[in-house]
Amino acid sequence: MKLKKLFISGLVLLGFMFQGCEKGFDNLNTNRVDPVSLDPQFVMNKGIIDATYRDNFATLQLLCYDFGIVQQVITPFGSSLSGGNYNIFNPSNTTPIWVNFYQSVLKQVVYVIDKTKADQNKTNLYNEARIWKCYAFMILTDTYGDIPYNEAAKGFLEGISKPKYDKQELIYKDILKELDEASAALDASKPTSVGDILYGGNIVRWKKFGYSLLLRAAMRLTRIDPAAAQTYVKKAVAGGLMQSNADNSVMRHTSLYQNWIAVHLTAREKANFYLAKPFVDFLKNNNDPRLQSISVRHVGAKSGADQAAPRTTNDPTVQIGMPMGYDDVSIKNTFATYGTASLYDYSQVNLTTILKTDAPEYHLTYGQTQLLLAEAIVRGWTTGDADATYKLGIRAHMLQMAEYDIKAAIAADKIQAYVDANTLQAGKQLEQINNQYWVASFINGSETFANFRRSGFPALTKNPYPGSEIKGNFISRLPYPDSETITNQENLNSAIKNQGPNDLNSKVWWDSK
Amino acid sequence: MKKKLLFLSFFTLVCQFFVLAQTVTISGKVTGSNKDPLAGVNVQISESGQGTITDANGNYAIKASSNATLIFSYVGYLDKSIKLSGAKEVNVVMTNDPKSLQDVVVTALGIKKEAKRLGFATATVSGDAMSTNRTSNPMSTLQGKLSGVNISTMGTGPTGSTKIRIRGQSSFNSVNQPLIVVNGVPMDNTTYGLGGGIGARSGQVNSSDGGDGFSSINPDDIESITVLKGATASALYGSRAKDGVVMITTKKGSGKGIGIEYNANYTTDKALDFTDFQYEYGQGERGVRPTSAYPQSAVWSFGEKFQPGMRQVLFDGEDWPYAPVFNRYDKFYRKGTNLTNTVTLSNGNENGSFRLSMSNSENQGILSNNVFNKKTINLGFSQNINKALSVQGNVNYSNEYNKNPPQVNTQDMAIPTVIYTLANSMPFEAMQQNQLMPNGNEFVMARFLVRNNPYFSLNKRFENIKRDRLLGNISIKYQINKWLYAQGRVAQDYYARYQDYNIPNGYAPIPAAPTGFINGSYTQDLRRFRERNYDFLIGANKKISDFGVDLTLGGNQMYRSTEYNSVTVQDFVQPGLFTIMNGRAKDPLYSKSERGVNSLYGSAEFSYRTFLFLNVTARNDWFSTLAADARSILYPSVTGSFIFSEKFKMPSWINYGKLRAAYAEVGDDNVAPYSNALYFGVNNNLFPNPSGATVPVGGINTTLVPNPALRPLRVSESEVGLELKMFRSRVGLDLSYFYKITKDQILAAQISDASGFTNKLINIGESMNKGLEMQLTFSPIRTKNFSWDVNLNGAYNTSKVLKLGSSPSDTVISVGGGGGRTIKQVVGMPVGALYTFLFRRDAKGNQVFDKASGRPLRNDIPAYVGNILPKYFGGITNSFTIYGVQISSLIDFRLGAKMIAGSNMNALRHGLHKMTLNGRAEGFVIGKGVNQDGGVNTTKSDIQPFYETPNVLGVNEDFVFNSGFWKLRQLSVGYDFTKYLSSIKFIKGIKANLVANNVLILKKWTENMDPENVANISDNETGLDFWTPLPPTRTIGFNLNIKF
Repeated sequence: MKLKKLFISGLVLLGFMFQGCEKGFDNLNTNRVDPVSLDPQFVMNKGIIDATYRDNFATLQLLCYDFGIVQQVITPFGSSLSGGNYNIFNPSNTTPIWVNFYQSVLKQVVYVIDKTKADQNKTNLYNEARIWKCYAFMILTDTYGDIPYNEAAKGFLEGISKPKYDKQELIYKDILKELDEASAALDASKPTSVGDILYGGNIVRWKKFGYSLLLRAAMRLTRIDPAAAQTYVKKAVAGGLMQSNADNSVMRHTSLYQNWIAVHLTAREKANFYLAKPFVDFLKNNNDPRLQSISVRHVGAKSGADQAAPRTTNDPTVQIGMPMGYDDVSIKNTFATYGTASLYDYSQVNLTTILKTDAPEYHLTYGQTQLLLAEAIVRGWTTGDADATYKLGIRAHMLQMAEYDIKAAIAADKIQAYVDANTLQAGKQLEQINNQYWVASFINGSETFANFRRSGFPALTKNPYPGSEIKGNFISRLPYPDSETITNQENLNSAIKNQGPNDLNSKVWWDSK
Repeated sequence: MKKKLLFLSFFTLVCQFFVLAQTVTISGKVTGSNKDPLAGVNVQISESGQGTITDANGNYAIKASSNATLIFSYVGYLDKSIKLSGAKEVNVVMTNDPKSLQDVVVTALGIKKEAKRLGFATATVSGDAMSTNRTSNPMSTLQGKLSGVNISTMGTGPTGSTKIRIRGQSSFNSVNQPLIVVNGVPMDNTTYGLGGGIGARSGQVNSSDGGDGFSSINPDDIESITVLKGATASALYGSRAKDGVVMITTKKGSGKGIGIEYNANYTTDKALDFTDFQYEYGQGERGVRPTSAYPQSAVWSFGEKFQPGMRQVLFDGEDWPYAPVFNRYDKFYRKGTNLTNTVTLSNGNENGSFRLSMSNSENQGILSNNVFNKKTINLGFSQNINKALSVQGNVNYSNEYNKNPPQVNTQDMAIPTVIYTLANSMPFEAMQQNQLMPNGNEFVMARFLVRNNPYFSLNKRFENIKRDRLLGNISIKYQINKWLYAQGRVAQDYYARYQDYNIPNGYAPIPAAPTGFINGSYTQDLRRFRERNYDFLIGANKKISDFGVDLTLGGNQMYRSTEYNSVTVQDFVQPGLFTIMNGRAKDPLYSKSERGVNSLYGSAEFSYRTFLFLNVTARNDWFSTLAADARSILYPSVTGSFIFSEKFKMPSWINYGKLRAAYAEVGDDNVAPYSNALYFGVNNNLFPNPSGATVPVGGINTTLVPNPALRPLRVSESEVGLELKMFRSRVGLDLSYFYKITKDQILAAQISDASGFTNKLINIGESMNKGLEMQLTFSPIRTKNFSWDVNLNGAYNTSKVLKLGSSPSDTVISVGGGGGRTIKQVVGMPVGALYTFLFRRDAKGNQVFDKASGRPLRNDIPAYVGNILPKYFGGITNSFTIYGVQISSLIDFRLGAKMIAGSNMNALRHGLHKMTLNGRAEGFVIGKGVNQDGGVNTTKSDIQPFYETPNVLGVNEDFVFNSGFWKLRQLSVGYDFTKYLSSIKFIKGIKANLVANNVLILKKWTENMDPENVANISDNETGLDFWTPLPPTRTIGFNLNIKF
């Protein structure tokens, strides 16, 4: 009987358990590890960090297309590494920029903008985010042309899962407006945060970055819309551009946040990428002291395993760039000409300086800005001494070498000698300036690719690899990812209708004249 | 036994002549062969049809004429007829019917029911079917044995996870796994690794199959496995049972005194090689054989034609003969072995019983560093405390240690990938002798650095997975009076799973460490899983003349949590020491996920006489994961069965006939916790601002757009069935037809990357599944010394996607895939449509090649090439008994589906596929077709890029195959030696079996692979293959069972 009572009270107890059938469920369904909100400054930081790549494969678009098209870094190998080296379509290497900038950068930045736009204490962060958004969208639209812009990265905020594509013309017009407004609206007297990883909350520097980016965006339109270009160049100059390398916008990689181009070349693709001959020759022929900082060769190496001391040298006189137009077998026909032992014997990017695993990666530099400014002066869009500005640009990039590694630093006398030997010559200014821009933007893949298309310099010759699948001499844009044909086909089709076939040939708007 | 029966019947026959008829009261006790009283046994007077049933103690009393014949019948036992011939007390010992398992079914909540009362389809196999001819994951053994149940095992070694699908794939979600229930209590069956894991580290090199829940069970402990197929069967198990329930009942002791049993099982595994590669042209790239030191072409067979006496210089810088190396699998993989020893002790009396078993199982994989050891202790007991109160429980403890499970479905350290793609002239001695360079770094073989030396992977990489798991329940039952009982139960499934693994020092694909450190990495993970269930049940049954009512009311509270702690370190101070402390950069992780489901349910069963049954259930679930206003859902079921053979006079050849029908609804949350809101993550490591101060970094940490308004998914399923036993029960037929609608599906639809996210949780998918299941048993021959039994089961399943979005234009979503291989759901098509890019063709069907390069071109839009889910599957078991020797074979089949056998893509791009022989002699290929301008293609393409192109472009059309097969799955030969042992007193029985598993593929369509040999557990990757997993194995061995 006792047991019976015990049992019944047990049952009653069980019954109580069920009284609130959903009691505590809201609490149970709350993630207690991850927060539901975060200081937008930290989110902004993520949007900045992820604008340089965060894993191996994401760097393959730069390595296989951007660097190869502008003939700075090339691989002789095909299959998964094919792209600009053979002038063929390789869908897996045309998607990383798309995925990375929408998924990693814009997702965060668009959220920051949304979170801060109504907050009077966060106007500076709000405008910084607007500027960073323009930076990201320029890379996207320069690479692909018409892209989702107004409706992009709003999968959560507005529930848009199939964003419409906008014409590049509209995108650029909006970027110019945004950069102008946001740079002007930055206000050093308003609250700012030292938690900002780009400039530590230094609004003056942010402003200079904003206007320098405006200059870059304006100069993109030199051919298609010179009037607009001129207008915005003037605004950018008036607003105030970067004044020194201290103003550079840079991702300062660390041993924990590594430079993934470097990691990929140090590790998985160690023996597969080489400096291209046109780039090495340009530096060599002009006695450019940067060659010594950038390049390394393993003299006589016959295999990847041979690429080690004591063969290693950065002596500029023995550097040999890999000629364009060869694969891993046909390259053997070049050995006699250049006195190389194997494909492994050509020069490579120095992995202890400019591409060591914690080497900085630059978004936008004082050097680039001075060179663009020099071009604007030559074009008569602003006033100033074009030659002096041009030389400041070269000098800035040479000084930048020391920031990669002390081994890469260039002595002042060498800089001076080079600058003295390179003066703007009438009729050749644009070529000279943009050739230097090509060097000054080395490793900044999407910028070299864009400026090469815009300016037509350097005057590279067509990659002679037999079996090129492109119509012209150079790849003009990169195709949209295959995933868009699956997830956003209608909008994709209207973009293709506007811009031309989704291939390597169609030109983006600012390149279409 | 048979003799005894014969004698008995003869005796009764003789006696009846001598007895005069008069009405007397006959009484007695009915027991089972183990002396347990049997309650509810039907006692019927043959002549008059009147009858009674035995009480709880097995006693009965009936008035009958003194020369009447009494027929005793009880589910699970052979009928027994006894001629009274004057006796007033007739005690009967009933004998188990060997085919009885079909007659008593363990249904939801562990309630045993007579099969005839059920209005839905079930399938049952006995424990013997799992323990005699076994596989290391007990579930794999059931492949082909249960109608409508499709089981696949991953090609990942001894712990390979299994994928069980009952009645196809109802939701678009990646997991349509049935609920696993052990002794009435749910068991976690999470698969770790292979895309199905939880909390796995991204960016870390680890892709092993960490196994699933089944591996914790020792097949020797299994009494029976019952599969409840439809939603009806699971109405009382609630949401998680929407895809059916696999109910495992473990053995409990029986009341026959002390018993000891010993079982030994020993088998060997041999790797099966289905590759048919070219062995005419050897290692090399672009037609050139390696001749100078350190070539990096180890996985390319685009070299020169083999000629006698040719030499090659290999990655090790040494000179080797340039000759084909055949039988790569035999040269590399060893013979695997499995040894399981189980000892069981049991005891019992009228007040209770227990069974305790201990087992040790050691499985040496075909990879020489892979060992899986499992120790289990299983205790089952029941005890009557007094007349009304009883306690019973089951506890299963397992200690599992999986040492070096292979990396699969990837490249890094993935030995099967390297062995499959290895150049056809690579001597294994070269790789074995030269794993490390003098500086201790790995010797690189291939410019794809991640295709590393398999011996280096074997010797330098390690991984340990250890799991301690305690699974069990205790219930107390109180029989309040004759017709009312109450029961309370507490159950828990808890495990701690420890895992660690490294990237070795000197591994080539990772960067060198900063000065002063040595590269490599090490990860340590700990997962703790807990599922707790409290439930109560109140049951009442009453019989009023011909009507019976059986009421059950219950409630359940489920709580489940998973915690994950992990630390990875990169670069080390001390070489060769893989510890967290020794690492330079440390990266910690922690996550926790919790969910709860509360439920109340009730069922009422009404019966009329012994031939009409109606069962009605209702259940309400509350889900913690769903929106507050949508988290409660009530769903009903109604089932009925009609034993028409008991109501109507049947032709003599029909012994039993039953019609059944059912309708049920189920609701389910089917979504991960915290899918309702956007969460942020804070990066593990701070980042320096320009002045060097380190500041936090964080952001939105999901690629999935959350949905705060999620409602439960709903399944509604109808089924009808027919069961027949004919020709003195020598032929049995069970037919079912089901029709199932799954709506409001919660699915992560792929969305444009430009949205900032990759997927979005939507709540609108709707699909239909229907099918036919058949089980036919017949015994063509039954003689004294020879009998032949056939058991044939088959299922036909089909499905249709009905709705995918809120607007009619939402007709397609992509759910999985990559590399040009995609699984989509398309409105109007069956679930799981397979898509890939096709080669471009002109209007006349000519293939188009690029005019300049000669490479094939592709269409820009992927095309539909087939469906991934089999339409037909089943098995045929033939059992023979010849003079006591039992021979059994199982042939199973799966037909009517397509797959992309992407392993072939790797064979193609590496020059192993026979297709690549075309053009070798000439040194170039001219694709047959036209170029973009419409002219005949005359452009010569280099061989290697030509065959690499389909992979680069994602064109898989050449490798779309019928994924069907016919296999001779199992063979066994057994003999019971007990009769020769009558002189040895202490041995009660000896049985031995020779067994073979995965014996032979009778028919397949895929090239270079076994179509079953894939490693994708997700339903959204079914039919996709690319990196070949471990080869399938043929298992041969014996099973020995001794009873003391």
